[in-house]
Amino acid sequence: MSVLKNWDINLRQSEKKTLRSFFLLYLFFTVVLLSFMAIYYYNTQKDLMLKDKRLELSKYANDEIKKLKYLQINFDKVPRIYPRDKRFKSAIYDSVYTKIFSLLDVNKVDLNEDIYLQNNYIIYIKDLESYYLGAKYVVIEVKDNGIWKKQVYNNLFSYGSIVLFALLLMGYFLLYLLLKPMREVISLLDRFIKDTTHELNTPISTILSNIELSNKHELDEKLQKRLDRIKIGAKTISNLYQDLLFLTLSEKMESRKETVDLKALLSERIEYFSLFFDSKKITLKQSLKDNVSLHVDKNRLTKLIDNLFSNAIKYNKIKGEIEVVLEDNYFCIKDSGRGIEKDKLEQIFKRYERADKSVGGFGIGLSIVSKIAHEEGLKVEISSIFKKETIVKVSW
Amino acid sequence: MRNLIFVLSVLLNLNASVYQKNCVACHKNSPVKMDKFFYLYLLKYSSAIETKYAMKLYLQNPKKENSVLSPELLKRFKIKKKTTLSKKELEKAIDEYWEIYKIFGKLK
Repeated sequence: MSVLKNWDINLRQSEKKTLRSFFLLYLFFTVVLLSFMAIYYYNTQKDLMLKDKRLELSKYANDEIKKLKYLQINFDKVPRIYPRDKRFKSAIYDSVYTKIFSLLDVNKVDLNEDIYLQNNYIIYIKDLESYYLGAKYVVIEVKDNGIWKKQVYNNLFSYGSIVLFALLLMGYFLLYLLLKPMREVISLLDRFIKDTTHELNTPISTILSNIELSNKHELDEKLQKRLDRIKIGAKTISNLYQDLLFLTLSEKMESRKETVDLKALLSERIEYFSLFFDSKKITLKQSLKDNVSLHVDKNRLTKLIDNLFSNAIKYNKIKGEIEVVLEDNYFCIKDSGRGIEKDKLEQIFKRYERADKSVGGFGIGLSIVSKIAHEEGLKVEISSIFKKETIVKVSW
Repeated sequence: MRNLIFVLSVLLNLNASVYQKNCVACHKNSPVKMDKFFYLYLLKYSSAIETKYAMKLYLQNPKKENSVLSPELLKRFKIKKKTTLSKKELEKAIDEYWEIYKIFGKLK
């Protein structure tokens, strides 16, 4: 929907689904309403046509009655031939609806009606006051030329299209008005996140670069540990900053593909997270095959790997294990953490969805992983044994 | 010979229906024939069931109010006497009368 097109932060899938459902429901009710109006219009036009025809058919019926009267009076004197007329076909029925004689094309006639349309025939029923030849009802049948119907269909199509278009336009503006406050809030949030993200960059970079520049050998062990903790904290914020940057600006960032040596990249990221491993006393096992490369955007792949490591650390237990394996057509990161319940595995890639809420986070990590994998043509599979392990496999 | 004719006529009379013996026998000398009465009933009652019922009602209890004749004809012919036929015989006679003069199947 174009109402949503300019949003920097796109609506979540479920919200889009809700809006789509609203629009479909609106469309459905519009069509239902128009159908009722069309049926009403059709019936009104049909009644008008029958009203116009009634006078003419009443005259035909009177003519027929006169002929029936003549036949009854002279029943033994003239040939007993039922009166026929080129302008119409007729039939006579007695008071208990038994057919006395019929020339009609239609088989069944509703004698309780006055005038009606049946199988493209106009049927008119006249009650007799004197039952000539025992006939209480004279039925007159003429073929409907269908001109009125064509006119009705033309009007329905042309006016119906205009009304449908107007109602859809109204629905669009209704939706626009409905979404306006939501749009303003999201836009405000979007601006806030962008501004905050931008403002975060400088202090984090300053903290990290100063830590890197400090000479660890000059510091005592206690201070060094403190500095490491500051570094972990700063890196956590830095990762969050990178994630937010990716979420807000990924669509504006061009993908710069290059050949990436996966062993080198994984080793670099392991090094980057080494302090995190140490802080949780996590044992790292690695089996990285040489000469495995991919033609991808390095920054994005780094983001993907960082998120996987970040999760493997975050949800791991103290003194747990992380195993990194790189093969020709995949790499996987296995942790000995809390695991994910089976029923939550399918939801795990949705943004803001978190299988375990006992640790901090926004639930954006795996959503980013999924987005990058999709854009870079990679396949991500998660398998898990609850309370035991989680394996994330990225293959190509 | 005379005896033979008498016997034959008695036999024929025995073979005649209730309708022939009790209705046609009287009406054949009347200026208003059987068919005219039938069409008068049909003109007023339309269906077989209603016509037969009206005929039965009149013949069992003839009155000015349930006659199909016009006041002028009633004045001329008077109200007929109540039938002496049993209910079953009367119904049989009326059924035969209906079958002879009914319109169904006679129009082309």
